[in-house]
Amino acid sequence: MGVRKHSNLASYALGNVLKYRTRSVAIILGLFISTSILCSVEFIREGVVTDVSTAVNEGPDIILQRLVGGRQVPIPYSWMGNVTNTTGVRTATPRVWGYSDVGSGSLLTVMGVNATEYGSMSGAVGTDILETGRFLNESDYRKMIVGQGIVDMMATSAIPLQIQVGTLLSLITFEGELIEFEVIGIFDSDSKIYNYDMILTDLRSAREVLGYDNSTFTDIAIWTNYGTDLSSVAFRLDTGIGEARVLTSDAISDLMLKAYTGRAGMTALLWLVVLLAVILLAFTASSAGSEEARREVGLLKALGFDTIDVLEIRMLESITLSLLGVSLGISFAIIFDFILGAPLLAGYILGWSLVLLPGGIPLAISLPTLFTVYAVGIIPILVAAVVPSWRNAITEPDVVLRGV
Amino acid sequence: MAIAIRTENVWKTYNQGTHRHVDAVRDITIEIEEGTIAALGGPSGSGKSTILSLIGLLTRPSRGKVFLGTDEVSGFSEVFRTKMRRNSIGFIFQTQYLIPQLTATENVALPLLCTDISRSEAERIARGRLCSVDMEHRLDFRVAQLSGGELQRVSIARALMNDPRILIADEPSASIDEALTKDLLNTLRAIVDNEGMTVVVASHDPMVLEWADIKHLLHDGKLVKDD
Repeated sequence: MGVRKHSNLASYALGNVLKYRTRSVAIILGLFISTSILCSVEFIREGVVTDVSTAVNEGPDIILQRLVGGRQVPIPYSWMGNVTNTTGVRTATPRVWGYSDVGSGSLLTVMGVNATEYGSMSGAVGTDILETGRFLNESDYRKMIVGQGIVDMMATSAIPLQIQVGTLLSLITFEGELIEFEVIGIFDSDSKIYNYDMILTDLRSAREVLGYDNSTFTDIAIWTNYGTDLSSVAFRLDTGIGEARVLTSDAISDLMLKAYTGRAGMTALLWLVVLLAVILLAFTASSAGSEEARREVGLLKALGFDTIDVLEIRMLESITLSLLGVSLGISFAIIFDFILGAPLLAGYILGWSLVLLPGGIPLAISLPTLFTVYAVGIIPILVAAVVPSWRNAITEPDVVLRGV
Repeated sequence: MAIAIRTENVWKTYNQGTHRHVDAVRDITIEIEEGTIAALGGPSGSGKSTILSLIGLLTRPSRGKVFLGTDEVSGFSEVFRTKMRRNSIGFIFQTQYLIPQLTATENVALPLLCTDISRSEAERIARGRLCSVDMEHRLDFRVAQLSGGELQRVSIARALMNDPRILIADEPSASIDEALTKDLLNTLRAIVDNEGMTVVVASHDPMVLEWADIKHLLHDGKLVKDD
């Protein structure tokens, strides 16, 4: 049998999609909801994974913090000698971290670094990823490099400000005073979580904003010698310096993923529940539970349709419904995440503590993800619809028609 | 005249639960010649529909043999039996089994959708068949918009779509009045005369039994009289 027969069967299957309108709409709607949930979360989760990878690549190999009583406290300058003398350490530089406001109501990350040491590290934040301007010099004081998110935020604030090199921007200090900074560069990084809302400045200026004294800092960024085993260096630092908390780039990556994607599992569970409901619906509609569907299979068989013809019809019906439902769900998720900025969901998934600037949500779509979503949407519905039809199709038409 | 249909000591037992078996037909042997109209008579539950299912290859006998022409078809594979239904047998079911969401033309065209005839050609043939049973004014009507008699006519048109050698009709007058029954039987007779097919009708309607060329009466699954 040739193309015409398959064309007839396809045409009949598409007719069935319209014929059983209530069933079709219910399956498409169910798949639309479950796929929207899955994809809205998955695009953010995938974005976070990509972002964390970028951030970790742009950052140091090891970050060393000081913990006292389980709480992070400032590190004294005296630690620097021990760190730099540890075997395997190539460069170690202190950093001062904290949060400040430019008067917009949003807390922004302020990081103070040693310009000479930090600027010499290829890959360190800001050293080779500037969209415009220059990196910090040793002599710079109250100069800043800002993330793209801050540029976007200020451009759309109540009193719009187009930030460019040379713009003056005031930060609110820990004492509530204003200190004026000059913008000397703007980041151009793929990372949303790491430097989208970041202000990079010199150590002294950061201390003034954040309230650190001159002899302490927040953490130490460490780069190791090429070819050195990272965990061995981390072990030596951990055992050599009391109260040290040593975070390798891998550990930082794990921490960030746990912090930002921990709730994705909960949403995935919700997706699973909705998908199961749709599978159940498809199964019921195609199984012995649906007298109409059962009788139709019996009639087709009696009129001379082979079992394979019946299955082809049911498969085409299921694939059409699944493709429609999943494609609508993916389209909605793209609009919801990429255009609307995933309202409420982004905060839930990434954690409400993360500073979220407009457009600052890490998002990504990959072909493997789309392929997986289509597969998990189509295959279960296909099986749920085809298996009962197959069971009816291999039963004698007399039994199916009479229901004996 | 050659024998079109023969059953030879046929039994059909349905299993209803683990220990309950019902013999729907018992040791039935009948012969039907080509080009004749044979009626199976008897009360409800006498086994008429079961014999039609056996002859129409919708089910297999539990014991005995069924022949169509010289072929012993009860032992054929399901694929071959389906092919025979597609090419050689037409069905008029008691409850018609028309698909309610389709039009009369679409319902009638259905048997040709599993062949290599295009859908548009199948629908063209279907319209011709509907016209031959005086349904040209209802071609695009849906099932719910048709009367009982019209439904039977659509069912007849569908049964004729594959130019069958054997036409099987189960209680064709069950849902229509006397006038419509007469009309239906005249239509069937004209088709048989024109196309030379063999017709087997199951009915407990005396008018249908009188109309047939030969009668086989059944009671409680057994053949009680050949006429």
